[in-house]
Amino acid sequence: MTYVRIKDANVEIPIYNSHALRLIRLPSFRLAMVGTSTVSQSGNVMMMHALKNLNLELSEGDRVCLIGHNGAGKTTLLRLVAGIYPATSGAIAVEGKVFALLGNGTALNNDATGYENIKLTANIRDWPRARMAEYIRDIEEFTELGEYLSLPTRVYSAGMQARLAFALATMQSPDILLIDEGIGAGDADFQEKAQARVQQFVSRAEIILLASHSEELCRALCSKALLLSKGERVYFGDIEEAFERYAALR
Amino acid sequence: MTLITATTRESGLSAAAGRVLTSLHKSLLWAWLDVICQYRRSRIGPLWETINVVVMMLGLTLVSSAIFGGEVTSLIGYIGLGIITWSAINSLIAEGTTAFVRNAGFITSSNIEIDLYVGRTVFKIAITFGHHLILYFIGVGLMIIPLGWTSLLAIPGIILLFVNGFWIVTVLAFICARFRDVELIVRNLLQLAFFVTPVFWNHQNIAGNRRFIVDYNVIFYFIEIIRAPLLGRIPPLHDYLVAAGATIVGFALAFIVYRRMRRQLAFFV
Repeated sequence: MTYVRIKDANVEIPIYNSHALRLIRLPSFRLAMVGTSTVSQSGNVMMMHALKNLNLELSEGDRVCLIGHNGAGKTTLLRLVAGIYPATSGAIAVEGKVFALLGNGTALNNDATGYENIKLTANIRDWPRARMAEYIRDIEEFTELGEYLSLPTRVYSAGMQARLAFALATMQSPDILLIDEGIGAGDADFQEKAQARVQQFVSRAEIILLASHSEELCRALCSKALLLSKGERVYFGDIEEAFERYAALR
Repeated sequence: MTLITATTRESGLSAAAGRVLTSLHKSLLWAWLDVICQYRRSRIGPLWETINVVVMMLGLTLVSSAIFGGEVTSLIGYIGLGIITWSAINSLIAEGTTAFVRNAGFITSSNIEIDLYVGRTVFKIAITFGHHLILYFIGVGLMIIPLGWTSLLAIPGIILLFVNGFWIVTVLAFICARFRDVELIVRNLLQLAFFVTPVFWNHQNIAGNRRFIVDYNVIFYFIEIIRAPLLGRIPPLHDYLVAAGATIVGFALAFIVYRRMRRQLAFFV
């Protein structure tokens, strides 16, 4: 059983200014005060209300893209599901192995080569050692990085990093895959391959949450859409309907 | 707020021990890769830091023998081993302060257990310490440092020091991520601690009414349980008791800090 259940979840992110990040606080000039519907201030710490009373139930086979303006709460939702951010209130239940692909790369050491990073990731993510050779072959094939895999990942372009990161994230087919923007860096050819890989994935009934501004990518990888606006759930369901509503929001 | 991570987890002591061991193994591999990359950048890798230790050792031995008296050859073993051990303690504290801040990118974007960042830092320092030990064997080879069965007693001392590294790094990493000025304060105090601790001067030379400087200095005991056996002296039981006490208090502190700050870490890192 794989599922994500979020009930009435609120996420308030404290924004520590330079003052709040100090233990010893000397008197300083008054800080700029900010007040909007999502940002409130108490003392030295501003609170950003990034997700408001969010309800969401995902079960096996749900491939959902998150859409919404910058700051709508897409990344916050991904971090919430990944367990990186705690909820201020509400309940979250996540069942299944999660792989969060939220940055541009997943290279654990950018001075190390692609191969070394693959091996280290394999160790950290508990991939069965016996199948290592098979995994490496698969990644070589999928990423098409060729001899670049023997170079430090530091020299990779954003697109190449995206290829490697995506290959690493999907290699062991996690139960729940969380993706943020990053893989948008890949070219058309890569996106096609990513789609094929994700299809495979879904046949094994897994959950995908993808935040992206690329409509194409969303359509290619997902079957449902969640539209967020200012931290609130506006619509959840059919992709086309969601994009129409998103267009209306602008 | 309730967070249910329903993923079935075995409970019980053996399962917990198993988790600790896997996490240690993973962080060792990560640290190992860091060292390999260091070797790639420069052919001698962490030995650059060993050269640093040599320079400090020679300089301080010269100064120390001039001020406190004594033969350079009899002092150099004491001071050298003192500096080698000190440099490990120094790195644990100094790098502990940035262990999470340096890995902020990973902490906010991946769900890797945070113990690995702590382990990565501690093991990296332990491996560098291993490089410095080359100097010890050179000292033995040159007959400056005695070699006997007592020397083996240093091994539990070294293990105890790096076990303590885990709580030191955990506590400092959390606090210094939340309060950024603490790092600067710690670095300042660290410099003072080097002069206050009997690293390059003998603790027996201190005036009776200032004895407390040594007696209440926990760092001194950690240095002694490594340095004394390597110089052929069995450290008094008292030294071990202090070190063991510090270990217990330290891990209790780490536990409290972890409980209080773990969930918020991604917000302030």
